[in-house]
This record gives sequence, C-alpha cells and structure tokens, in this order.
Amino acid sequence: AATAPGKKITARLKRTLPVRGPQAPTLSELMRWYCLNTNTHGCRRIVVSRGRLRRLLWIVLTLSAVGLILWQCAELLMNYYSASVSVTVQFQKLPFPAVTICNINPYKYSAMKEYLSELDKETKKALETFYGFSEGKSKVRRSVDDWNSTGSDFFEQIPLLRVEDFSRTATDLHSGQKRKIEGSVFHKDSSIVNSGDSNDIIGFQLCDANNSSECALYTFSSGVNAIQEWYKLHYMNIMAQIPLETKEKLSYSAEDLLLTCFFDGLSCDKRHFTRFHHPLHGNCYTFNSGESGTILSTSTGGSEYGLQVVLYIDEADYNPFLVTSTGAKIMVHDQNEYPFIEDIGTEIETAAATSIGMHFTQSRKLSKPYSDCTETGVDIPVENLYNKSYSLQICLHSCFQKAMVDSCGCAQYAQPLPAGAEYCNYKKNPNWMYCYYRLHEKFVKEQLGCQQICKDACSFKEWALTTSIAQWPSVVSEDWMLRVLSWDKGQKLNKKLNKTDLANLMVFYKDLNERFISENPANTLVILLSNFGGQLGLWMSCSVVCVIEIVEVFFIDSLSIVLRRQWQRAKKWWSGRQRGRAPQAGDVERQGHDNPVCIDEDLPTFTTALRLPLPQDSPLPRTPPPNYSTLRLETAFTEQLPDTLELGQH
Amino acid sequence: MNLKKYLVRALHRLQKGPGYTYKELLVWYCDNTNTHGPKRIIKEGPKKKLIWFFLTLLFASLVFWQWGILINTYLSYNVTSSLSIGFKTMKFPAVTICNANPFKYSEVKPLLKELDRLIEAALERILQPTPGNSTENVSLPLDLELWNQIPLVLIDEHDRDNPIILDIFETNQTAAGNETAMDNKTKEKKYKLAVKLCSHQGSENCTYRNFSSAAQAVTEWYILQSTSILSKVPLHERIRMGYQAEDMILACLYGAEPCNYKNFTQIYHPDHGNCYIFNWGMDEEALNSSNPGAEFGLKLILDISQQDYIPYLSSAAGARLMLHQQKSFPFLKDQGIYAMAGTETSIGVLVDELERMGYPYSDCTVNGSDVPVKNLYSQYNTSYSIQACLRSCFQNHMVEICGCGHYMFPLPEGVNYCNNEDNPGWAYCYSSLRSSIKQRQICIDSCKETCNDTQYKMTISMADWPSEASEDWIFHILSYERDMSTNVTLDRNGIIKLNIYFQEYNYRTISESAATTIVWLLSSLGGQFGFWMGGSVLCLIEFGEIIIDSLWITIIHVISWCKGLKQRRARARYPDAPPTVSELVEAHTNLGFQHEAVGAVPRAEALPPEPGTPPPNYDSLRVQPLDSLGPDSDAD
Repeated sequence: AATAPGKKITARLKRTLPVRGPQAPTLSELMRWYCLNTNTHGCRRIVVSRGRLRRLLWIVLTLSAVGLILWQCAELLMNYYSASVSVTVQFQKLPFPAVTICNINPYKYSAMKEYLSELDKETKKALETFYGFSEGKSKVRRSVDDWNSTGSDFFEQIPLLRVEDFSRTATDLHSGQKRKIEGSVFHKDSSIVNSGDSNDIIGFQLCDANNSSECALYTFSSGVNAIQEWYKLHYMNIMAQIPLETKEKLSYSAEDLLLTCFFDGLSCDKRHFTRFHHPLHGNCYTFNSGESGTILSTSTGGSEYGLQVVLYIDEADYNPFLVTSTGAKIMVHDQNEYPFIEDIGTEIETAAATSIGMHFTQSRKLSKPYSDCTETGVDIPVENLYNKSYSLQICLHSCFQKAMVDSCGCAQYAQPLPAGAEYCNYKKNPNWMYCYYRLHEKFVKEQLGCQQICKDACSFKEWALTTSIAQWPSVVSEDWMLRVLSWDKGQKLNKKLNKTDLANLMVFYKDLNERFISENPANTLVILLSNFGGQLGLWMSCSVVCVIEIVEVFFIDSLSIVLRRQWQRAKKWWSGRQRGRAPQAGDVERQGHDNPVCIDEDLPTFTTALRLPLPQDSPLPRTPPPNYSTLRLETAFTEQLPDTLELGQH
Repeated sequence: MNLKKYLVRALHRLQKGPGYTYKELLVWYCDNTNTHGPKRIIKEGPKKKLIWFFLTLLFASLVFWQWGILINTYLSYNVTSSLSIGFKTMKFPAVTICNANPFKYSEVKPLLKELDRLIEAALERILQPTPGNSTENVSLPLDLELWNQIPLVLIDEHDRDNPIILDIFETNQTAAGNETAMDNKTKEKKYKLAVKLCSHQGSENCTYRNFSSAAQAVTEWYILQSTSILSKVPLHERIRMGYQAEDMILACLYGAEPCNYKNFTQIYHPDHGNCYIFNWGMDEEALNSSNPGAEFGLKLILDISQQDYIPYLSSAAGARLMLHQQKSFPFLKDQGIYAMAGTETSIGVLVDELERMGYPYSDCTVNGSDVPVKNLYSQYNTSYSIQACLRSCFQNHMVEICGCGHYMFPLPEGVNYCNNEDNPGWAYCYSSLRSSIKQRQICIDSCKETCNDTQYKMTISMADWPSEASEDWIFHILSYERDMSTNVTLDRNGIIKLNIYFQEYNYRTISESAATTIVWLLSSLGGQFGFWMGGSVLCLIEFGEIIIDSLWITIIHVISWCKGLKQRRARARYPDAPPTVSELVEAHTNLGFQHEAVGAVPRAEALPPEPGTPPPNYDSLRVQPLDSLGPDSDAD
C-alpha cells in the first residue's frame, strides 16, 4: 500500500512529462533537423544551399569557422594566466627603512691579540719566507716578542705552499722541503694557468683527513689573495671556538662607533640603534630596526630630514691581514629583512661625507600559477635559519648550511647555526676545510640543487640609492669640528681625533614618491568568458545554448539513435529467428522512410514543417492518408521509439 | 463617445502586436526572438521545457551578474603600463651647479663677525675642562645681545631625573662650581648641548632642543643665527656676496662646442647662494643630445675655493649639482648630489620617465592648477612640482602662524623674512612648526604629485683629478685664465671636474594606458551576452518591444475592464438594457490582428492539419496540444 502512491506519482509524472527520444528516426534526419533549427549560422546554409559546389563551400566555411573558434579559444585559454603590470606612484608619508651600519673591521685588533697572535706570527713568517717582507721600523705597531712560539700542528697541516712551475712540486713554508702534489689543482683564478711566470704561484693544499691521498690544491694568481684567503680560513677556525658573548665584547660598542646621530631634525642616540652581531663584520648597529615596536617614518624628503650620523672608525685598531680597506659598510633594508651586508653593503669612505639619496620602489609579483615565486617561503623545503622573513639569499645560505651540516658534520662560521649543530673547528672536525671547499665548489657550480629549490620572493621592497661623496670636514671647519667631536666622544678620549677616523653619513629620501609595481591578472573568468562569447559570436553566432544543443544532438541523440537502430536490429533478428517474419518489420520501417511527407525536398521538415502552413496545401491534391498508423508515424519525430517498435511487432 | 471609439481604434492600430493576451505575446516572443534560450522553452517537450526554462533563467541571471562585474571593472578605471627603453635624441637635462657654501667668507665676514666670536668663545668654554681659564682668554667684551636671543645651554645630566641647565656665559658661580666638581668626579660625558628657544625674550614659554652631539648643536645654532642676520640683507647684496659665475665655472664644453659661464642662468638659492643652471630652457631652446657617451656630454671644470668657506655653516666641502627638467626649480637639498674636490666625477644619465593618466585613472595633477596651495615658486617662472608645493605649503603656514616668512623659501607678497629684531620668537615658532607632524600631514594631503614624473638615474663614478703628473700645468693654465696672473691661485681642494652624459640607453619610459576602454566594455558585454544566450543589442530592443506590447495589452485590459464595470453598473441600474457587446466583439474580431494571430497560434506542436479535410476551426482544437493527445492514445 505504501508503494502505491509512489507508483501513482511516477505514473503521473510519466504521463505529464513523458520521456522522449530524439525527434528524427535516423542520423541523417537528425543532422538535417539540427541544421535547420540550430541557432548557429552556417549549418543552415549547408542544408538550404542548392548545388553541390555551394554546399561544399558552405561545409568548408562552417568547418573552418569551427576550427577558428577552437583555435582562438585554445589560444585564449593558454594565455589565461598572463599578468599585466601596473605602476602606481603614491605620494605619502614613507616608512624609513632600517639602516645597518658596520665597521669594516669586525673586532678590535688590540683585543683580539690573544686569539690571533699565533696566526699573525705564521702569516708574517710566510710573508718573510716567500716575499722577503719584514715589518719595517716605521710599521712596527705591535711587539712580536711576547708571542709564545708553540706552533700548533694545525698550521703545519694546512701551510702556504709555493708551487714550482708545472712540475707539480711545492715548497712547504715550514720545512722548506719540496713535496709532490697529488690530487687535483684548483685555480681560484683560472687565467694564471696561461701566465708566463708561474713559478711564483702561492697556494695551499687541503687534504681529506681520512684519506690523505685525496687533496685539492688552491692556487692564486696573486700572493695578496692567497695570503688573505689562507688567513681567513684559519681566522674562521679560531673565531668558531669563541662564544658569542665574548665576540660581542671584542667588537665595537655603539658608543665606539656612533659619534653623532640626527634624524628628521631631531637628535638621536644609541638607544635608537639595535645591535646585531654579524659573523664577518662583528657588531653592527641597525637604526630603526623596528624592535621597539615602532617604525619611524619621514614625511619630508631631503637631506635635512633623513638620518645623519658621524661614525668613528678606529683605523689604528684594524686587523692588517683580514681587512685591507678602511671605512664602514652600510645597508638599507626592510625591517623584516636580514641584512646581507657582506654581499650587498655599500662602503663608506672616511674623511668624507657620503650622502645617500633613496628612492623607494615596492614590487609585487603574482604567485602561482602566474609565476614561480613564493609568498612566505613556507612552501620551500629549506628551513629558514635566519630569524627574518624569506628571501632568496636566506634560502640559498640556509640551503648551503644544511648541506654543510649534512656532509661535513658541522656548520660554516659565516651563517647561523641550525638546531643541534655547531660551528666547525679544526679540533673537532679535522676534515672540515677540505669538505667546505669541496662543497663550496659544488654550490657555485649549482650541483647542490640549492639554486633549483630556492625561489624568488613574490614581493620585495627596494631602495634605489644614489651615492655621492663630498669632502668632510672642509678645510676651514676641520679644526673646530674635530675639537667638538672629540669633546663629544667624551673626556676619556683626550687625544684629538683624526679626520681619517671619521666618516659622515647621510641617508635620506630623495622624494616621497613611492613607486609600486604590481602584477595583476590580465584575465578574469568574466573576461575569459566574454572573449569566448565574442569568438563564438563572431564566427558562428553561437552561444552556450548552441553548445548544449550540440551536446544534445551530437552525443545524446545520435547515440540514442544508434542504440535504437541496434536495438531494432537485435529485435528484428530475434523475432526473425522466432517466427521467421523479419521482412515485415523491415517493410514497415522503410515505409517510415518513404513517407511522402518526410522526403519533402529541401523544404522544412519535422517541427518546422508542422509549424509552417505549406504542408497544409501540398498534400491536398494527394490521396487521403492510408490509415492512422502512418499518420501517427508521420508525427513520429515527436514520438517515442516504442511506437515504431510496436508497429514492428504487430 | 465618438472620440473614445476613435481612441480605441487608434490603440488597436498602434498595437499591431502579436497577441491580445500575455501568453500569446510571450509565446510569440519566445518563438521569434534571436536569443537562443527562449525558443527551446516552447519547442521542446514538457520535461525539456522545464529544463530549458531554468537554463534560460540561469543564463540570463549569469549574464546580468557578469555584466555587473564588467561595468564595475570599467568604473574602477584600471590602467596598464607599457615600458619602453632605448636611445633617442633627447633634451639634455638642465644642470644646476652650486657651491656647498653659500657665500664667500671674505665677503660676509663683517656681518658674521660677532657671531663667530660668540661661538668661538662658547666653544672655548665648553671644551675647556676648567671654565675659569676661558674668561681670561676672551680679550674683547662679547656682545651678548645676539647670544641672549637664542642662547646655547649646557644640560647637566648626572642626575637623570633632575637635569641642571647651565647657561654658558652666565657668571653663576654655583652652577659653574657644580660643573667643575662633577667634571672631576666622573670621567664619562654627561653634558648635552641644547638650544634654548623662547616664544618671547625673557618669557617662561621656552623649549630646549637638545642634541646628543655638540657638533650638531653648534651647527644648528649657527644656522639659526646666521639666517636671522642674512635675512636682513637685500637680495642683490646677497648675490654679490656669493660666488660669481666667472670665478666658479672655469671651463665648459658641451659636446664639441665650447661654452662658458655666460651660457649659465644665475639663480639665487637660499641654501647654496648663487647657483648656475645650464640648459634651463627659459629663454632659449633646450639643447638636444643625440649621442651617448662622455664625448658628447657636458664637461665642466669648477672652482669651489674651499679656503673661502664659512667655517661653522657648512662642514662638507664640494660642489652641489642636480639634474632636472627644463623650467623646473632645482631642489638641491632633496635631489642634489655632491661632487668632491680634487676629483673627476662622471655622471651617466638615464632618463626614467613615468607618464600617467590623470583623473579619473589616478589622482595626479598636470600643471598644479587644481592644487589648493599657492605655488610660491611660480615667481621663478618654473613649473609645478611636488617639492615646490610642499615648501610653499610650509611657508604659507609659517606666515600664517609666525607672521613672517622663513629665509629658505620664497616669500609671499607683502611679507618679510623672519629676523631676531622684528620677530623675537620666530625661532621658537619655526622650530615647533617644523617638528609638527600635523602640519606636515596637512601639506602632504593637500599636495598632489605630477602626472609626468621624470627622474634622472645617475651612474656616478669618480677618479682623482688632476693626476700628479698633469697637476702643475693644469693649475697654471686655469689660474692664468681666471686671474690673468702667472701665480697658481688654485689648488686640489678647490677644483672639480664634471662629466655629464647620456648612457647608451638614455630613456626608460613607463607610460600608462587605460586598461578598460568603452570599446572594451562593449565588446565584453557583447561577448558575455553572446556567450550565454547568443544575444545582441537587437535582442534587448526586442525585449523592450515586448515590454511595450505588454503595456499596451495592459492598457487594453484596463480599458475593457473599466468598460465591463460600467456596463455591469448600467445593467444593474437598468437590468433590461441590451448588452453593448459590439465594442468587445470589435476588439476580438480586429481583422488586422486576427490575420497575424493565425501565424502565431499554431505554435509548439500543434496537430498538423489533416490533409484533404479542412481543419476544424474549433477553439478546443487549438487549445489542446498534441502532447496531451499522444500519451492518451498510447494509453489506449
């Protein structure tokens, strides 16, 4: 009883909304019907045109129109993910960037003496043996006598060598004995291979501690480079063993570095600076680092309203082998950005006023799928070792450090420590230098895969700098300026300052115009659809409705006709086998085809035929219809398949 | 009554529409419209009819929704930028050259003599550990009037919560005693210099501008004082005291053509004294440069005579130069660069242009006429720039609040520059105005940037010049040419060589164009309509027509209803009165209409007329669709 109402409803539904099959009995009829009734242009022309040539022409035209539509739409789809660039200029109050200032010399040489004495002694020895240089009387700055002469085996292990010609022999610095070089030779400067006097080549050899036969010789075209590189290698080794707190004390304090500070017309002092320890540059000071929570901004351009500092560069306390230039390094960067001052810092000259005009540009790229960049760096499989926002540099350095820890077992000194690792030093990792040099070689040759993993950041801020230098202090103002600055430096410093120990720096916005370069999607879905519509309309006056029609006619209806045919054939075959009366069914079907109303020349058929008054007149002189079944067959385009089937079965 | 009849007839004649009922009209519309959906609604079977009905509805709403989006996009006035880069013959930029020092010290010495003595004495006091000695050193009695207007004070910060303010020249023994005592005890520097600024002399309304560095304090103080002194000097006198073109510009070469100081336009710049502008384009045509490279640029040799600098005013020595557009005012403090003495500075120029579209695409101004700030720099005949606007804005505020104009900016009409005598509180007023963030914000908000933003990107490189080997003869020749003497009057500290030239690529232009034009909008709208429904503007007109038709129908209905009402009333009043159907009948048998209606009526799947037999003219046959017949016969 429960199913009865349901059945009733379905029966009623069937009656009121009957399921109908395609309106034409055969495929060709269906096509004809479609062509005449469809809204797309062209198709109708094929059917309506008289003459084979004309019809052929229309077929070709229609097909080429379809082809053009498909091609153009594919083109539109392929160009969907393109971006258009817009540049906007905004004049507004601008946030002042963070300015990081370092002394080029990382640590006070006088304070470092106890750590570096041996290394310096070794270096001087090398200079003397290879170049016959000894510190002249005029250049005696430190006494060499109090150095304890316990030469560690470490220096002996990686000594400086003089490479003799191409005979692959080298003279040791210590023993003076010649030894054969095994392994590969790496030239830091490849041009030296061709240079004539190659007997003066200086280099050093790094060997795998576990396997002494595997060695790499690094040679340099100039002894200056060789000595510096060699010194740096040992220096890093020594520094890696000193804890951070000690290093910070060994370096310059804010009072040491900054003599005066002036920002936006107001005086500032060391409290506006944040200390930041850089492994290669010692203590650096960042102005406006945003650590206090507020970021200073400028509402007026011009040199008076920017940052003006006078730096004290204690040239006398410089490490003679590590750094060979005097001055300071500065970098302008965003508060969230890590300052890679060793890579992209600007150098500041002493005894000069350096004025740096900034122009602010902000750029923004579209991330996937428009371009291969990363918004925050979380999708990069490299851990960010720096406590700052993602950048390509950070990624590359972190990637290298990770590879270093993985393959050498310790971390490189110039980059931050990953969790659980420690800096390389010769005592714990006797093999690290060889390992590091090998790894670095690989990194540079892009064999580590870091360059492939790391992606650009999608947005970045850029301060374009225009640097110019003026003499400072001027000849006439030198006298009072130095006196007053000495007073500023405090009473503890009784000597008058030298102008070569001072550097004046001005960092300011040239103008408050911020350029914002951004990529925008050139296409939205709406525009894509309108373009589709435009193409469809232009070539064929087609729309989604036509597409639905095509799907309906070419897929559903055609398929059902084919299926119906098959079904009929199967039934015929079946009934023929059953009763041997197959031919009759065929007759009836042919009857449907030969129906005089159906083969009515070109004139509209089917539903259009039903609508038009023409058939009304034409059949009039004919014989009256034979019976009702044919009459019904005539309307069979609107009828279901079972009707014809029923006929066949009768 | 006749009129009414006539009206009704006219109505019918006008309403040559497809039907007298809404349904007929709708069916006719669906059948004959060029939009793709509606046709299917009436052509298909009932189930498909339903599907097509909803599809059409869906597509129609999609079209409207997306039209909304498109129109919104259009109204947001987006722009696209195009970049072009290369080399073309361009106007050589205007080059402004100044000396970092505004006046020759030898000329202004009489004016600044008092001030210099004061500052020297003050420095002596400050720097000397025991203040007792310093008083003896000052031989001449100091004119303390100048000092008392804007005094420098020492702030003793040993006690952080309770700083002691010490006037440097005050002979207050207790304070001085304190100072020495503290000095001996702690070796750390605890003193700060500050500038005392009072709204009126002797009034309590004072602020102390402290400086962490004495050097800064001294410079600021000196600038304030000297500004006050120099503002009283008339302009021609100030120009005379500055550097003269023939003294400053020693040699000039533009491309292969020689030029001299006469090719430069003199302009008085408050910061830098006399400045000279090459190729400003005010009187003559601007020069073009059609070749890249230093050979085709501007080559200058300048003398800044560093010995003649005012010691306390400018501590940096060099030439200040700036590249800018023709007919624009050079704002050297913002955009200028230094050139160092004793060097050759080469400047490669790339013109970076940004051409923007004005309103409504972006909020920029073409010539500054729509900016509510009076441009004070227009007295120089220069074009509008954002810097000019900001400075004018500041000066206008200054005049409004302090009653006098600041020396660094041009004066509005009828206003004088501030000086200590006439406006004793000006320094205080200026200093508070300058640090006021509100004032700056007002100026930023009221000034607009220009639509065409031109920047000169400079690649600056330097080398020592003259070389040691060539030094002698170069100095000799230049001295001879300038002073007609055989003595060398120039030295390394004063001489500057400049090369300014176009780079290989000398322009980079970013120009904007509208991303959405009206053509774009129309084609997008058409595309949308076409994509979903295959429609066009004509379809919209068709639709409008149908609406008008339906309005007509409504009117006819209303009229007939009113008539019916009248008749019923009449019938109620006179129940025997014969019904006046003639008008109604007339309406139904309107021949013109009936003729057309024939075509419209056999819609959908009407039964095809029986061949041979005339079609029965019954209403019932017309009403009954075949679909309902079909299943019935099936059921049989």
